[in-house]
Amino acid sequence: MKRTVDVNIPLGPIHPCFKEPVRLKCEAKGERIVGAEVELGYMKKGIERIMKGRPWQEVMFLAERVCGICSVIHNMVFIEAMEQISGILVPPRAAYLRVIANELDRMQSHLLANFSYCYTIEHETLGMYLLDLREQVMDLIEQLTGARVTCAYIIPGGVRCDIPLPEAELLKASLDRIERDMRRYTGMFADGPMIALRSRGVGILTPEAAQRAHVVGPTARASGIPVDCRLNHPTYRQLGFVPVHRADCDNFARVMVRFDEVFQSIDLIRKCLQDLPKGVIRGGGVCKAGETRYSGEAPRGELTYFIKSDEFGRIVEIQIQTPSIMNIEACCHEMIIGVDSIADVTSTFISADPCIACTER
Amino acid sequence: MTTYLYEKDLVPQKYRILVANRHDALVRKIAAELDIPVQELRRYLIEHLDMILLENLPARYEMADANADQDDPVARVLGREKYTLYLPILPDAAMDAIFHAVNDRVRAGTAMEDAIAYGRVQIREVLRR
Amino acid sequence: MNLLQRIKNKVRARSIHVAYVDVGSCNGCDIEVLACLAPRYDIEQYGIYVHNNPREADVLLVIGAYTPGWEEKLGMVWEKIPDPKVAVAIGNCPISGCLFNRRESFVDAPVKKHIPIAAEVPGCPPRPTEILEAILSVRDSVFANWEESHP
Repeated sequence: MKRTVDVNIPLGPIHPCFKEPVRLKCEAKGERIVGAEVELGYMKKGIERIMKGRPWQEVMFLAERVCGICSVIHNMVFIEAMEQISGILVPPRAAYLRVIANELDRMQSHLLANFSYCYTIEHETLGMYLLDLREQVMDLIEQLTGARVTCAYIIPGGVRCDIPLPEAELLKASLDRIERDMRRYTGMFADGPMIALRSRGVGILTPEAAQRAHVVGPTARASGIPVDCRLNHPTYRQLGFVPVHRADCDNFARVMVRFDEVFQSIDLIRKCLQDLPKGVIRGGGVCKAGETRYSGEAPRGELTYFIKSDEFGRIVEIQIQTPSIMNIEACCHEMIIGVDSIADVTSTFISADPCIACTER
Repeated sequence: MTTYLYEKDLVPQKYRILVANRHDALVRKIAAELDIPVQELRRYLIEHLDMILLENLPARYEMADANADQDDPVARVLGREKYTLYLPILPDAAMDAIFHAVNDRVRAGTAMEDAIAYGRVQIREVLRR
Repeated sequence: MNLLQRIKNKVRARSIHVAYVDVGSCNGCDIEVLACLAPRYDIEQYGIYVHNNPREADVLLVIGAYTPGWEEKLGMVWEKIPDPKVAVAIGNCPISGCLFNRRESFVDAPVKKHIPIAAEVPGCPPRPTEILEAILSVRDSVFANWEESHP
């Protein structure tokens, strides 16, 4: 649609604040943003087209590489969808280990998102503290699964490797240390007067607009909508999970929800380690034909796989609906409209935790 | 003819988004509902919506199905909020005018189906404009 | 080699600006580059600044398997970088396309076809230390003796 505007400011695809290439064309009236258009296509690899016709053993690794930041949850949702199709049961110990891997992944993803936000508002000190903390979480992931990123930990009917007792003790001790540091950094973020100036009341996303755009994850929970797919997951129900939410609807709330969720993840992992059942970690099973729609809660929100498989476990049809699609859409068409300056556009955009690799696949 | 320094023709990229499984099924569904050729609707969507909105069409359609126009049956069948708020295909003013025209007809005693059919013709007119 | 050239060499090797461009990866390598900034690896102690601005960059880190969106843009980014410059491919994707280089996909790997690549770091994804080592090795082989090799 051609429109006449005051100034049209393109941001990206290469921009100091954006981790990934995306092009944001902001229409500004003076300094105020009146509209924005997103140009994608820099990361379109056609991963769903590659997946078609391949056996699940290959698609499992492809699914992990939809997104490198939240690879564990892509792995988990794909495998659990295949399990649902084939009626494979998971041993209780494996189910708990899955939750541990998933929550560690969520912690590192949230820490990275908050680092990006602090970096964007030029609070580099806090950003570096958080990035250092993230490295400690990455160590825990490596210890548990054997790799930092793309670890392929979860397989149909179980997980790949067990957690021995000394490592579990080490994990607990590290979590205590991480929690202590996190309390300090969260306090720094919550009380910083300059941070509040850049974050509070900027980038408002009303609950109605959020609901229209089907916003999910921390972005929705910061707008007062307590949606969380973990509520429907049997293992999380056993752990007595309750989502956190805030009603401020601004950048500050989105970052704080992520901080709160890191603490929640730490608690969940502790609870898992405490009641970790004894037994096998691999039950086994055969992938069969079927069709399903399965959702799981990624660090960024609801991740849905639409899968159709044939009797040999090959994927016939697949479509992935990632949380970033909805969050970026709401961010660019609702949040950044009315933002007071161009400098706030990048910080508002980053506060929604955009992941372009997920969005375009 | 103006040549842009950075701008690129995005039609092939947008088309690739629209022919993915779920998006394709959705576009066919909307085309059947409004009774216009699929390719014509695709062209309209590519010209009027940006890429992230095209990616988000299925999620928005689901929300529209669940929440749009709960209290007004005529608006629901016509898709008053669905095609303006949830899927921003039509301009608000045009949709309002069509809705009021249809509502008047229903009140004047025209059968519901005929009035809706009239509304659909009007929507098609707007889309073709 | 005169004194001025020797100073130039020394200064060039001690101050390297890095820009990274993601041409269609899964994000994993991207984040590992970002992790190099962390105090644990501390990329800045070697005088390397990750600034992501091609106009003042010396090293371009190319990540990903070259998607059609970059057709004319990657070349433009490469031209904007002032000499001396090198491009380093991070991860398997720019080297071979990794698992994206299959039938039906949109990628056009390797990146070597489109811009000259000086060094390659394989891995899916490589560790931050490996990325750091690659940048340091191109520093020693390209920037530390630029004046002799380009009279």
